[in-house]
Amino acid sequence: MNYGPLLFLAAFFALATSWFGFVLTPQAQIGQLQPANMLGAPTLYPQARPGLARQGLEVYRANGCADCHTQQVRQSGTVCDVVLSDTGTNLPAVITALLKVKPGLSEPAARQWLEALRQPPPPTLDPRPSTLDPRPSSLLLQGLKPAEADAAVKVLNGAGAKAAVSIVPVGPDLARGWGKRRNVARDFIFDYPLALGSQRIGPDLANLSARQPDAGWHLRHLYAPRLEVKGSAMPPYRFLFEKRKIERRPSPDAMVLPRDLAPPPGYEIVPKPEAGALVAYLLSLRADAPLFEAPLTVAPVPGAAGATNAPAAPDLTAANAPAAPGATSTNAAPTNAPAK
Amino acid sequence: MPPETAEPGAGQMPVPVWLMVLFFVLLYAGMVFFDRYSGWFDAQIYMPYASQADVQAFQPRGGGPSAERGRAVYENICGLCHNSDGKGKPSQAPPFVGSDWVTGSPNRMIRIPLSGLSGPVQVNGTEWNLSMPAMGAALPDDDLAGVLTYIRQSWGNKASAVTPEQVKAVRAEIGARSQPWTAEQLKAVP
Amino acid sequence: MNPTASCQPFDLRPSTFGLQDSANEAAAASLDASCRLPLLVLFMSAAAWLVITSGFALIASIKFHSPAFLAGRAWLTYGRVHPAASSAFLYGFCLQSGLAVSLWLLARLGRTKLAQRWLVTLGAMFWNLGVTVGVWGVLAGDRTGFEALELPGYATPMIFVGYLLIGVWGALTFHQRRERRLYVSQWFLFAALFWFPWIYSTAQLLLLTFPVRGVMQSVIAWWYADNLRFVWLWLAGLGAVFYLVPKLTRRDLQNRNLALFAFWIILLFGSWGGIPNSAPVPAWMPALSAVGTVLTTVALLAVGLSVWKTAGPGGPAGARENLPLRFVRFGVLTFLVAGFMRVLGSIPPVSNVTDLTWFGPATDQLDAYGFFAMVNFGAAYWILPHLMGLEFPWPRLVRAHFWLASLGIVLLAAPLAIAGVLEGLKLRSPDNAFMEVVKTTLPCLRVSTVGDLFMALGHVAFLANLAGLAARFYPVRAASLFSSLTLDLYKPAGAKP
Repeated sequence: MNYGPLLFLAAFFALATSWFGFVLTPQAQIGQLQPANMLGAPTLYPQARPGLARQGLEVYRANGCADCHTQQVRQSGTVCDVVLSDTGTNLPAVITALLKVKPGLSEPAARQWLEALRQPPPPTLDPRPSTLDPRPSSLLLQGLKPAEADAAVKVLNGAGAKAAVSIVPVGPDLARGWGKRRNVARDFIFDYPLALGSQRIGPDLANLSARQPDAGWHLRHLYAPRLEVKGSAMPPYRFLFEKRKIERRPSPDAMVLPRDLAPPPGYEIVPKPEAGALVAYLLSLRADAPLFEAPLTVAPVPGAAGATNAPAAPDLTAANAPAAPGATSTNAAPTNAPAK
Repeated sequence: MPPETAEPGAGQMPVPVWLMVLFFVLLYAGMVFFDRYSGWFDAQIYMPYASQADVQAFQPRGGGPSAERGRAVYENICGLCHNSDGKGKPSQAPPFVGSDWVTGSPNRMIRIPLSGLSGPVQVNGTEWNLSMPAMGAALPDDDLAGVLTYIRQSWGNKASAVTPEQVKAVRAEIGARSQPWTAEQLKAVP
Repeated sequence: MNPTASCQPFDLRPSTFGLQDSANEAAAASLDASCRLPLLVLFMSAAAWLVITSGFALIASIKFHSPAFLAGRAWLTYGRVHPAASSAFLYGFCLQSGLAVSLWLLARLGRTKLAQRWLVTLGAMFWNLGVTVGVWGVLAGDRTGFEALELPGYATPMIFVGYLLIGVWGALTFHQRRERRLYVSQWFLFAALFWFPWIYSTAQLLLLTFPVRGVMQSVIAWWYADNLRFVWLWLAGLGAVFYLVPKLTRRDLQNRNLALFAFWIILLFGSWGGIPNSAPVPAWMPALSAVGTVLTTVALLAVGLSVWKTAGPGGPAGARENLPLRFVRFGVLTFLVAGFMRVLGSIPPVSNVTDLTWFGPATDQLDAYGFFAMVNFGAAYWILPHLMGLEFPWPRLVRAHFWLASLGIVLLAAPLAIAGVLEGLKLRSPDNAFMEVVKTTLPCLRVSTVGDLFMALGHVAFLANLAGLAARFYPVRAASLFSSLTLDLYKPAGAKP
């Protein structure tokens, strides 16, 4: 290796292979991703963030929130659950089927469960799960492989009941409530600059608006993190707020703070536009729509499916945990199938 | 300052054998690892899924395709170019109404959204020469079956429904094909 | 320093840069003189940036366990101070110091003068201007959001012009070499000279000028950061190591083929790393990255073997007193540790625990400070006295610097690595509340702040010594210049220094 040009070529070749593998090929594959249909709904995902949220992304970037927070939820596996949505009319056949698919179940327990499921739902227009609902969870089997789950569903459907397979991603991040599925490339196509983050000095924010949709909480947390989270390591972002003299009337945006943090009388603390934009961005953070590359089952809004012929839109509120007692109504199957 | 020593030379012994062996062992282990975990450069496979079949197995079961769902998927995916009334748009997409590509063999029709179609093709006597991307590659079997059934049974078209099993079978046949079809290749399909 | 002994070259060709030849010594002196100004500017700027980095890094480090520290001002918030520190370190210290050592080595090993030293000095000034504007911009809130490329776009032209001036004339120095046979270090340094502008311009174009879409930004940002930290820093650092270790131990490098092997592995496979296993990208990218990173194990072993055989047990007498050699040996040791940490961190069973924790920063810091900075300190402490013909004004400060730096990096990186592993293990179970996990890492972070403090003090010692050396040198030069100019005014009894 005694020649300069040879060295140059060596370096160029090595960089070219790396460039080809990690710049060109990924760009060809995921560089032109478009929004795609969510599974089970005709809506496209993702939608571009509204204007204030995009400005908020600039504030997020400028203050380096991505240095402490990530926006990448991980997933270690996927399992299938079996959910019974309709007990059918032939009770003995269904009980036999139940005993077949769930070996540990005893006959009296199966009968009791079926009877409890057959009770009518409490009269309410509120689709969220109610603690007054006496019905047990309709979750029958958990943690199955797809083939096993399909076989169980076939047995139960054959007995006249209506059972369905629910796809559930699992992993430590998901168990912690940080998301319903892992993040994929399609979640980020409208963001510039991307704020994936590389460290979790604070919790992951990919699905923040699903677990903390309160703008007031976010503003107080930005002003004084230890108000909302005890022992927080996050610095207070007071410079996103301004202290000003109260004019004729206090502003409706004025922060309500405890005495040791409250401004002196005659003054109020008001969030600056940057704070508002940042909070709008945080409230737009959500990545749990089911996609082909990251499938999951999302329960449809109960009651809506039976009302019209339109396909049930997946319920993206916090009320779609399949194992919540009484969450799934007996009207619609907790899958992506529209009402027939 | 004391005078410096001579510039260093370099010995010429060869690289120890064990180091070369270790390199090849690591290379082999790397290839095995890549085979198992990478999904072989497929852009739709994310960890923890290992292959297309794996991702397909975990797609939510639709409870079967329905006409309503088929129509919804059509409006969102196909109708943008082929128009809501299936009449196509000039220089954008050929019509579905009365086309034998639609009412003919399902095997042929299923292949088109899975890999795309490019090059000259005769539709209802007119020659079209455009390029259709693989619009249906990211759809689960149920949805693709539903939308194809909708196209085959709307606007006066009268053909058999397409089942998810047929879609699955065709997917398995064509594998990871990413090249769009040409009309000649499709005509050769039974 | 001990009197030199003649060394037995294993390589059969005679070493022409002999000891007893006064003509060669004079040639060496004039060659060194041609490097003096640009190298002094580069090293002093690098040292100054290092002190600035330490200041910011210390502030950032304190904020972890006292979040309210200096929290009132926007420009001092952690999210601005942290990228300011890392950018100042990478672009202010690492690149300048690495280029200084590269230029000197290319001139030395090629037995030629540094080409156009005034242009190179101008380049260094442009570079410093660019980095200053960039760091100011980061503190003002214009950071780009891409790790390792945080300097805003308006600083890029100055940095690029600076690099062009330094790099083109560095490459010309290589081209004009009189010694046509290449020594090992020249491969590494010449490759590094091209590597940086290629990766930097790719990243600038695809992230800032014509930004790519979505997660591709992160892919390219990771690719760039990894190529900068683990290919460029390794190339520049190992180029210095493969020269200094044999030179300072007065032995020949064992051996050329191991170095060649390491060179190819780092270029081919080291450049694949960087995509973490947690990334929201298709599975093949982290998988390929992991394969590439694991393959660099053999490069690490080759370098370790080579240095051990060259400098190993039974080194020359008085090696303990040879402080530059101590810096370089420490650097090689941490190179191996950081390299193995990186390899471990890329394997899925381990990365499931250590990804997105403190383990990553611990690896990066250990590699950048522990390997690259230490090797460059050793190089500076060895090169500069030879360039100036003067010793450092405070030798005890050099020793203090060594102890502060080595203790500092151990106290910085080890607790962070431990914190990362603990954090990762605890976060695997949802029963551990997040705040509890954060509390567990706090003691480790406090120790790492102490490490930061030691390192900061060491860097101040370094800058002080360099400044003292320059302050000594220029008056002496000025005096001798004055006396040589005014010699004819003073007849035979004239003073001659």
